[in-house]
Amino acid sequence: MNSMMHREEALRRLNELLSEELEASIRYLHLSMMVHGIDRLIVQKILQENHEETLEHAQQVGEKILQLGGNPSPRIRVEVEGRRFTGQEAIAEALIFEKAALEGYRELLERIDGSGDVVLEEFARQQVAVESEHVSQLQMLLVEESDVGQ
Amino acid sequence: MSDWREFDQNPVSHSAAHHLTTIQQLHDEFGYARVSDVARHLGITRGSVSVTLKGLRQRGLVVEDDHKHLSLSEEGLRIARGIRIKRILIQALFREVLGIPDEVAETDACKVEHLVSDVTAISTAKLLKHIEDGKSLSEFSPLVDEAASGAFPDAMIQEIADQMEGRETGDGRGEK
Repeated sequence: MNSMMHREEALRRLNELLSEELEASIRYLHLSMMVHGIDRLIVQKILQENHEETLEHAQQVGEKILQLGGNPSPRIRVEVEGRRFTGQEAIAEALIFEKAALEGYRELLERIDGSGDVVLEEFARQQVAVESEHVSQLQMLLVEESDVGQ
Repeated sequence: MSDWREFDQNPVSHSAAHHLTTIQQLHDEFGYARVSDVARHLGITRGSVSVTLKGLRQRGLVVEDDHKHLSLSEEGLRIARGIRIKRILIQALFREVLGIPDEVAETDACKVEHLVSDVTAISTAKLLKHIEDGKSLSEFSPLVDEAASGAFPDAMIQEIADQMEGRETGDGRGEK
């Protein structure tokens, strides 16, 4: 892949990831408001922390886009269920979009692996590690076997 | 009037309709459909697709294999095919009968494709066929009772939709 194609491809994928992170942030915030029942005492805090963390990730992805000479251009369209969630349901819902973000970072890493862009490669590798951690934590809360290494 | 409540009770939302038809379209074109392909095709995030798919899987409309390839169940396929045919018929009605430009007809048909009843779609198909055969509107009888009794879409409706789609794409399939 030549450097121009590499840059365009990287920018497109980073903008997709920016959209993923911003949407995830909104979803976490919404879930933190809608979680009910006794689990709310614990789960709401986890969801709020994840909301803040995904916003930080969005910021990092935006910075990376700017460093590559692009413009952060997220396309966001969030539809959320207007109902209350138990703690278990909220975590299960979060696991769905966390896995989607992890897949996005994995694909980015696969595409740029060996491209010579060490900085972007390292960023993608770090994000895969962080998102894998998130997915594992959520799976543990659901008492599910972790499958992030597969 | 409580007809507006039917919008809330519609079995397939606008978003779900697009997910189903996209999975089928990708399947037809490439032989497989993944979450990332659906997301890119619809211009939305994987997260959004994954959340929507959860509901469609629970309803037994979408299935995912071990390679994370998506496909439609028999019922999902029936719904997707029905939505696609309704879009073609409504678009043709707007274009051929009302004289609306094709781009506008397509956009408007897309807005209602998942809401139109089978009876309306069948009557629309018959009207288009009626006009195609050179008959006058005053002679047209929608035969709603007959239309209501059949499964949707049957072979005749499919054939009319194929003709109309041929006109839309300009490949001559629908030309007399």
